[in-house]
Amino acid sequence: MSRVWVTVGTVLGVAGVGGAALLYSRRASAASPPLPGPGPGQPSAPPANLPPLELAPLPKASDVKGDLVANWGDTPADLRPLFMYMEEVSRIPGSARVFATIAYGESRFVTTAQNGNTSGEQDERDSSRAAYKNNKDRNPPLKYGEQSAEFGSGGLFGLLAPYFLWTGVPEIGKKAPLLSAPPEIVFQPRAAAFGACVYMQRLLANYRVDDVPDIKVGWASPSLLGEKNYGGASYQSVRKHYLEKVAAVGIDLADASTIPSKLSAAAWPGVPAVFAALVGSLPKELS
Amino acid sequence: MTPDLTCYGADIPALADLVGDFDLRSPIDTRAWYTREWEALGELLGFAQPLAAELAQRRNAGDWIRATGEAGMAAFAAWHRRERRAGMSDRQAITQASVIRHMVSSGRERGELWRVTVDPTLLDTGACYQDDSGGWLRAFYPDTAPGYFGDGWAGPPPQAESRCGWTTPLVLHLGTFPWVYSSRIDATGPALRWSSASAAPAVEAFRVMSLALQPEANLRQDARQVAAIYRHFRTHTAPLVSRLPVYRPGQAQAGRLYRHAGFLRTQGSLHVAGLDGPRGHLPATAYNHVIRRFAAFFAVRRATVRALTTWAPEMGRMVATSTDPCLRAQVEGVARAG
Repeated sequence: MSRVWVTVGTVLGVAGVGGAALLYSRRASAASPPLPGPGPGQPSAPPANLPPLELAPLPKASDVKGDLVANWGDTPADLRPLFMYMEEVSRIPGSARVFATIAYGESRFVTTAQNGNTSGEQDERDSSRAAYKNNKDRNPPLKYGEQSAEFGSGGLFGLLAPYFLWTGVPEIGKKAPLLSAPPEIVFQPRAAAFGACVYMQRLLANYRVDDVPDIKVGWASPSLLGEKNYGGASYQSVRKHYLEKVAAVGIDLADASTIPSKLSAAAWPGVPAVFAALVGSLPKELS
Repeated sequence: MTPDLTCYGADIPALADLVGDFDLRSPIDTRAWYTREWEALGELLGFAQPLAAELAQRRNAGDWIRATGEAGMAAFAAWHRRERRAGMSDRQAITQASVIRHMVSSGRERGELWRVTVDPTLLDTGACYQDDSGGWLRAFYPDTAPGYFGDGWAGPPPQAESRCGWTTPLVLHLGTFPWVYSSRIDATGPALRWSSASAAPAVEAFRVMSLALQPEANLRQDARQVAAIYRHFRTHTAPLVSRLPVYRPGQAQAGRLYRHAGFLRTQGSLHVAGLDGPRGHLPATAYNHVIRRFAAFFAVRRATVRALTTWAPEMGRMVATSTDPCLRAQVEGVARAG
């Protein structure tokens, strides 16, 4: 996506925009399914001195109350409970299928998708470097800040590493839960889900979001939802590409029985509650 | 006494153990096993929620095998209707339904419902349907290439000329529905797309697959056919699976596929993970489903044979006329042990 957005996004700063975790859209250019062994296309490995990062398994159908059958298109059956759990935990009614559309667009549902780990993805690494460099002085320190700067973006929702690790800073400051975690934690679907929930809430609470495609515009860059850019060429371009992906995955955004025309985060329970429900606790080395 | 399944192969008892042993004479055992197996099926294919609702309605049922079977069918049919997957034309689906009925009928006579085969040119429909332009098309994929369930089908060729281009038998692996083809295995299962506005051959094929869980229908199936297909599947997947690390709780790395208790496991979606081998891509979700179908078949077979003399003596008469020498020997062995 546009380099202009990188500049726009980083000018906004993390805390200033409510901890914008992902300031511009990434396609899942490096999305590849899990492979048996190390090799090209494998996600980068966490630092060797860290314990293995294995969060709880994906939620199951029995863990959620919401419907997992209607209007999910080609969303994998074993990821639907995660998206529904995100909706239920974040208390953003109708968001489950929207999360599914975003995950499809960003990662093709590959939880270890990474943009920035191949030679052709210099843009992504430039973006994460800029994100870190321009924001490290006004945010709590990241234990793996330099690694996050070199990481690019990744995970189910294509989150840019430094912003992802700062998730929660505007709300709870130095108690934000991922400040000591390595960027590879974004490959854990529950951790990525946490970042995505927080980001969705911030968009809904702080920006002009008239409909569901506007959420994806904000996912690309919150600045595109500002007065200056709303409705402009970049705004329209993001919506167009998003709607193409929505059609490809087969989810009907106009189905009011599963997706309200306008999402609301009015019942947001707060960052700590969402983290506790989705991620739980991290190993002491990371918390 | 535990019936000896090694007659079908030394690895078959361990295969059955993957889904656990149970005693059909114990209502508690039976209830726990069938609930777990149906829930696993619902979770993997995606109809877990409607299944839970159907099971809840039947929680006081006395015959839990029958209750879970009925609940599973109702849940799958309702789920399949609501899923509204990109389906097919009515003409194709109606043809498919007709062909499946025929194949199941003749397969049942032979005791071979796991894999059904037919010369398509001997069918009324020819296993062909007309598209909107009037051209004739095959109603099923001609699954003739070497794959995970067999080495392909070079012959015998159809007895008559096919109007839609069949040059080989029509082969369906209904025992592993929705992965009914030996090649081109995708993450969803091609037979889940067998539906149209007015016909749902997928539901009929699902019913046939689920018969393996019913003791009497399980006994009617020639286990030698199932064992042979399993052996082929194992031959072509074992080298791929053996390269995977063994899962250790708390030690798994995201993005890596692991072996775990006979199945595949990853910290993410099994639908997008998979194995790649000379027989093509095999999604992890398909692998787990297929292995579980084989394991469940032999687990039910073992439990049924063990309980036969006291739990369902009438089935003993059926076994006595079976063409399967392994089955006859197992039943005799159990009877001798008293």
